[in-house]
Amino acid sequence: MDFDWTTEQQAFRQSLKDFLAKNLPEDWEKFSEHGPASPALTRFAREFCGKLADNGMLFPHWPKEIGGEGLGPWEQQILAEEMWIAGEPRGGQYMNVNWIGPTLERYGTEEQKAQYLKPITDGATLWCQGFSEPDAGSDLASLRTRAELKDGNYVINGQKIWTSYAGLADTCFLLTRTSNDRKKGITILLVPMDTPGITVRQIPSLIGEGDIHEVFFDDVTVPESARFGEEGQAWEIIAYSLRNERLGIPRFYLARAALDRAVSILKVRGEFSGEIVRAEAARCAAMCEAAKTACYALVQKRVDGLAIGPESSSARYAVVQSERAVCEFVVEYVPEALAGASPYLKMHHQRGIVAGIASGAAEIQLNIIASEVLELPREPR
Amino acid sequence: MDLSLNGDQTQILDFIDSLTKPYAGVPMHDTSFALTSDELDCELVQNGFLDVMAVEELGAVTAALVVEKLARLPVSVESAFSALVRPIIDPELPRPICLVEEGRLTGPVRFLKPGASVVVVGANGVRSFTASAEMIAPAQEDTLYAYPVSFLTGLPNDMRKHDIAADEVLRQWRVALAAEAAGLLGAALDSITTYLSERKQFGRPLATFQALRHRLAETQVATNCVYWMALKAAGTGDPADAAMAALLAQEAAKRVGYDYHQLMGGMGMTLEHPMHLWTYRLKLLTAELGGRGGQALAAADAIWG
Repeated sequence: MDFDWTTEQQAFRQSLKDFLAKNLPEDWEKFSEHGPASPALTRFAREFCGKLADNGMLFPHWPKEIGGEGLGPWEQQILAEEMWIAGEPRGGQYMNVNWIGPTLERYGTEEQKAQYLKPITDGATLWCQGFSEPDAGSDLASLRTRAELKDGNYVINGQKIWTSYAGLADTCFLLTRTSNDRKKGITILLVPMDTPGITVRQIPSLIGEGDIHEVFFDDVTVPESARFGEEGQAWEIIAYSLRNERLGIPRFYLARAALDRAVSILKVRGEFSGEIVRAEAARCAAMCEAAKTACYALVQKRVDGLAIGPESSSARYAVVQSERAVCEFVVEYVPEALAGASPYLKMHHQRGIVAGIASGAAEIQLNIIASEVLELPREPR
Repeated sequence: MDLSLNGDQTQILDFIDSLTKPYAGVPMHDTSFALTSDELDCELVQNGFLDVMAVEELGAVTAALVVEKLARLPVSVESAFSALVRPIIDPELPRPICLVEEGRLTGPVRFLKPGASVVVVGANGVRSFTASAEMIAPAQEDTLYAYPVSFLTGLPNDMRKHDIAADEVLRQWRVALAAEAAGLLGAALDSITTYLSERKQFGRPLATFQALRHRLAETQVATNCVYWMALKAAGTGDPADAAMAALLAQEAAKRVGYDYHQLMGGMGMTLEHPMHLWTYRLKLLTAELGGRGGQALAAADAIWG
C-alpha cells in the first residue's frame, strides 16, 4: 500500500496545472462564476475542450483503441481533480469523457459510435441526461415519458425535469418507457436536441445560471436506430454509467480548496486564532480527506480491474458530508462570500450544495448501503 | 498510489485470522467488562505480529492493519501501542506499553500493571519507566470500560529519557488510536448489523425500518472513513493525516457508542449482548489526547500553522 503519487503521476498533474495556467483567461475566477451550464461557460468549454483534445488531455484515460492515451484510472482521477478545482472549465463536457463516451463504447452500435464519439473526442459537443421527471425523482424507475415504436420510428411523449445542460446540449441521453415493466420497461434513446417537438424551459436555480431545465417531448420522432442497447436494457446500462458518475466529480478536492481559501481570508483578517473556528475548519478538512481516501479506495478497484459495487454509495455519502461541512463553514465564517465578495467561494457553494441531490439523492445512497453493503433485510414494499 | 493489500499483508491478515479463531467467539451471558487473554498475547508476540512495522517491506501500514484486525476481537490485547508506537521509541521496551500525556495523569490508563512500560509524553519530551506495584492505585473492579484500566499514583523521579520528539510520538499515538478504533468500529458494526437483522418487532426485523437503516448506513460510512484514514495516516507519516484520522475516529466512536446501544433497545442495556466490549473501548478512546477538540486543534496546527 502506497499513499504517495508516483513521479509520473506528479508530472502528469503538473502538466495539467501548466496547461490550465496557460489556457485559462486572466479573469477566469470571476468568469467561472457562470454556472457550468451557462451559455458563457458552454461556449468557452467548446474552445477549451478542443485545446485539451489537441494536447491529448481531454480523455487520456480512455483505451488506445478508442483514441485515448491508455493512461490509468489514477490519471483519470488527477485529470478530474485538476479540472474541478479550477472551476471545471470543461463545463458539461466532463460528462462526455467520464461516462458518456465509455458507455457509448461499451453498449453503442457501430453507427452510434461513428456518429457520437468523434464530436466527444474533438471536445465539440454537449450532452444532457434526460432522467428525472416531475413524478420520478429518487424513484427513477417510475418514469413515464413514453416511447412507442411505430413504423420504424420511436415517438416520444412526456416530460423531463431538473435536466442539467439541456438548454445548450446537442444530444440527450434519454430514458423512456417502452413497456409497463417497472425497470425492464425502460429504454434509452439518443435524441438530438434539435428534433422537432422538444421544448426546453430553464428553471431559475440556486446553483448557477442556465443550469437546470424542464424538457418537454411532444410527438418527438426518432428512428429506431436511436435506441441505445436493447429495449428494456436501460436500467442495466445506467447502473453501469452512474457508478462511473458517482466517482466522476472529485467534489472533496474543490471543497478542500474552498476551505483553504476561506481560512486564508480569515487569517488575513486575524480571525483564525480562536479554538472553535480552528477546530471547525479542521473537522471540515478531515471530512474532505476521508471522502478523498474512500474514493481513492474505489479508484484502486478500477486499477485492479475490479467492478465498483455498492461501496461507491458509501464513498459518495462521505463526499456529500464533506461538501455540506465546507459550505456551512463558509456561510458561518465568511458570509460575504455568497454576496459576491469571493467568486471562488460562491462558485464552490453553488456547486457544493447539489452534492447530495445530483446523481441520486444522498438518502438513496443510504438505502443502497443498507441493502447492498450491510446486506440488511429489505424494507417491505 | 496503490491502495491494494500486497501479498505479504494478505498473508499476515489471513494468518492472524487463523491464529485468533479460538478467541473470536463471544461468551454470551458471561461477559465481563474487560476480556483479556494472556495466551493470545503470548501467541501474537511469539509470531512477531507486533513487530511488523520494523520489517522494511511491511512497515507502518501493515502494523495498522494488524492492530485493526486484532481490535475486532472480543478479547482485548495491547497491540496498538506495541505495534505502532513502541518501534519509534525503543523496540525493546517491555510490554504492555502505556502512553500517558504530561498534564493528564489522572485518567484511567489502559493495560497498566506492574511491569508495564509507561511512556510519558509532553513538554519535557518523551520519558519512560517500568511500572511497579506502588505506582499503581489498587485495581479497579468497578470500571465500565472494556479495557483493563488502572490509575497511576504519580511519576518516579528517575525516568528514562528517549531521543525522540514528543510531537513524533503524539503523531504515531494518533495513528494507533485511529487503527484501533477502526477495528472496534468494524466489529461493532458487524455485531449491530446481525442483531438488527435478526431481532423482530412489529412482525419484521428491526433492520427493515428505514429510520434504523439510515442510521446504520451512516455509521458504515464513518467506519469506512476511519479505516482508510487510519491506514493513510500510517502510510504517510503526516501529522495532519494522523490528527484527522484520530479526530474522525473519536467522532465515529462518540456516535456509535450511543447509537448502537440505542438501536438494540432493552438488550442494549445489558451485558448479555457483547456490544459493550467494543463500544466501551471506543468510549475510552474518545477521551484520549484531549478528545475531539484536541485532535481538531492538532490538525489545524499541522495544516494551517
